[in-house]
Amino acid sequence: MDRRKFLKQSSLASSLFFVPSFVKAFEQVASKSLGYKRLVIIQLSGGNDGLNTVIPFQNDLYYKARPTIGLKSNKLIKLTDEVGLNNSLTPLKRLYDNGHLTIINNVGYPNPNRSHFRSMDIWQTAVDSNEYSQSGWIGRYLDSYGKQPHTAIEIDDSLSLAMKGETKNAMATQDANVLYKLSKDPYFKNIHKHQTDAHLSEHNLGYLYKSMIATQSSAKYIYETSKTVRSKKEYPNNAFGKQLKTTAQFINSGLETKVFYGSLNGFDTHTSQHNRQAKLLSTYAESIEAFVQDLKQNNMFKDTLILTFSEFGRRVNQNASSGTDHGTANNVFIIGDQLKKQGLYNNMANLNDLDANGDLKFEIDFRTIYATVLDKWLEVDDKKVLNKSFKHLDFI
Amino acid sequence: MKRKHIQHLYWRIGFGITPTKLETLSKKSKEQVVNQLFKVSETITPLELDTTEFEALMVDSYEARKANRKKIQTLSRSKTKELNAAWIERLAKPKELLREKMTLFWANHFVCEDNNYIYTQQFHNTLRTHALGSFRDFVVAISKEAAMTKYLNTKQNKKQKPNENFARELMELFTLGVGNYTEQDIKESAKAFTGYGHNLEGEFKFRERLHDTGLKTFFDKTGHFKGDDIIDFILEKKQCAKYICGKIYRYFVNDTIDENHVNGMTEVFYADYNIENLMRFILLSDWFYEEKNIGTKIKSPIEFLVGLKTFVPVKFNNPKQLLYLQKVLGQILFNPPNVAGWKGGKNWIDSNTIVMRLKLPSILLNNAYISKIPSGKDDNMMAMQKARFEKGAGKRFKTESNWSYFNKQFKNVNINDLKHHILACPLSENASAYLDALNKTSKQEYCVQLMSLPEYQMC
Repeated sequence: MDRRKFLKQSSLASSLFFVPSFVKAFEQVASKSLGYKRLVIIQLSGGNDGLNTVIPFQNDLYYKARPTIGLKSNKLIKLTDEVGLNNSLTPLKRLYDNGHLTIINNVGYPNPNRSHFRSMDIWQTAVDSNEYSQSGWIGRYLDSYGKQPHTAIEIDDSLSLAMKGETKNAMATQDANVLYKLSKDPYFKNIHKHQTDAHLSEHNLGYLYKSMIATQSSAKYIYETSKTVRSKKEYPNNAFGKQLKTTAQFINSGLETKVFYGSLNGFDTHTSQHNRQAKLLSTYAESIEAFVQDLKQNNMFKDTLILTFSEFGRRVNQNASSGTDHGTANNVFIIGDQLKKQGLYNNMANLNDLDANGDLKFEIDFRTIYATVLDKWLEVDDKKVLNKSFKHLDFI
Repeated sequence: MKRKHIQHLYWRIGFGITPTKLETLSKKSKEQVVNQLFKVSETITPLELDTTEFEALMVDSYEARKANRKKIQTLSRSKTKELNAAWIERLAKPKELLREKMTLFWANHFVCEDNNYIYTQQFHNTLRTHALGSFRDFVVAISKEAAMTKYLNTKQNKKQKPNENFARELMELFTLGVGNYTEQDIKESAKAFTGYGHNLEGEFKFRERLHDTGLKTFFDKTGHFKGDDIIDFILEKKQCAKYICGKIYRYFVNDTIDENHVNGMTEVFYADYNIENLMRFILLSDWFYEEKNIGTKIKSPIEFLVGLKTFVPVKFNNPKQLLYLQKVLGQILFNPPNVAGWKGGKNWIDSNTIVMRLKLPSILLNNAYISKIPSGKDDNMMAMQKARFEKGAGKRFKTESNWSYFNKQFKNVNINDLKHHILACPLSENASAYLDALNKTSKQEYCVQLMSLPEYQMC
């Protein structure tokens, strides 16, 4: 008997008999060994100041624009003769040294919007800045390629627009146990106990039943799969560290989830930027390093790609309150084990050629990064997800 | 009027109907019931909070205002949260029921948000004012709202540097629908909306010197058009009436469009663009009450929450939790995802929202307890179990539920008929068989059981 047949029959024999066929028995093909690629997206909300994250410390224009908040060359971590990292990013430097980090500079989109909500909306929906969409880019990935609700997981209580598709949605959970407990009330089991596909029409009520059954199945699967692994790794004791710890637990347990979505808030540094940004960046870098180490120890890092973005960078000139106002283009971090172009992917922004607002002109459309990740990492048709054809880059 | 039809009517133009009210209305004819709805909604009761705190902050000198910007934003944030709770309260206890439901509908049509509370409140009440009036006046008013000129950048739309954002969304989302205009139409009409702005109080100000007085060619007409002219030209297109009717049909009647019915609505609406006339036509039609339209829509999170409160009034002692609920259910009032608004229908449902919806009635109303005592068995374990639940999951939300109101409203309802009042659609066979195998301990426990079903998500 071949394995597939065996699986089919053994599931028939089990209680899964009553589970409608659309909730397919999860084939626990040892996903660890097959190079099951996963994408982790980290959203830095509020608009991280990219110019004080990756610093052109040989550029006089930088210090001219930022007389008090500009970071002095002796107070940062040098990557090259011209470019340094904010010195809260020491853990990131270690990733850089190991060839695990690619920094893409000047990432943005045409006709940039400087409102947090709108710009985040544009990054999440991946449409032109004069278009509006009711679905996000990962959501549309799910529409075409998602098999179960847990194909994409947001580590939160509810879903961002990025994770909502036209017909399918991701799942949100901060704690596998909570969702499992909520969904497993026997009452919910009993009301659909003998329900089969035939009963469940495509109409709205049938759709609700299907969603309920699929959720119970996914919540149970996430809980039972992930509980087999307990991370021994220490993470920074904060919400972001916890998000990544949960994500690592999911990944290390071999959960069949292609995309994870996490976020770190508070980057809107209009006043007294220095300390606030430093604190956030170290939270970010320390947690990411722990995360990478955790994955490495479990041999999962080679199949994980981490993409970090923020909705916009900040104005080149500092403002009157030792802070910065909303800007445009920004850097994106790609972290992984299989990077084709490590370190700095492209040149730093030209501070001599700003737009009318005194903001950076973007060089790389963020959707070319999405397209690249979809095509080369998730191995799907990026045009189908982005509804448009974008150039592919060669960082992976 | 048939009880079933009254219930359907009230699910759609309200949030459900209690048995006592249903009893009263069932003695009237359809015309009487529907006419009464419009009669009651003739008045307008604005939703307003005390805004005196803003007066000292929103002063006229530019410098002072700038210094106060942060304070205005902080105060606005907390006031908007207050308005959120007040709106939900209003929806649960409306004076003008139909007007209120229409206001909720229009808030997801003319989608807007702002970080200044004064402008948010003003915009919100403009929706209420025009909710049943002339659609033409409505669009004109919206185009001149302070919050909208900020949200879609009409404020930045100047003769020297036009901004097309409002002109584009006016046609794409507010009036015609995508594909019914050209890029050139957008460019030309944007010029007509140059010079729009507002004063500190949020009153519309037309800034003559920023307005492009030149010739514009729009929909084959050429002239020195202003914004109002553009709106008139748009409304001349029957497509505008059709687009709005389609949206109203999907919201009030059925997710799936019936071309015949929408065409009939379009004829009525195109004649005078009067929203009340259109709604009256729908609610008096026979097709509105057809079986395929009854109990077949998925409630929005707000319809779900307010519907719950309509039967069992529930008070949130911690207003933050009411906001949190809206977040986890996927619809926070005054906080739309973007100008396209919430997609609605099946899109409300994901793994998290379905679990929350099924679990919430018991959590909010019954200490998270859903009775599962088999028929014929004693229920003396229940008190103990409930007490245990109260200390666990039931503790999560600080709510007070008014079951005595429920008991009064449902006093004359036989427990076996409860489902016809709580649910808008028939029970599925499975659920029905399971419920029949359970002990009907009390109307309260049975009500919670019914509300914890997928069927309860339907309206």
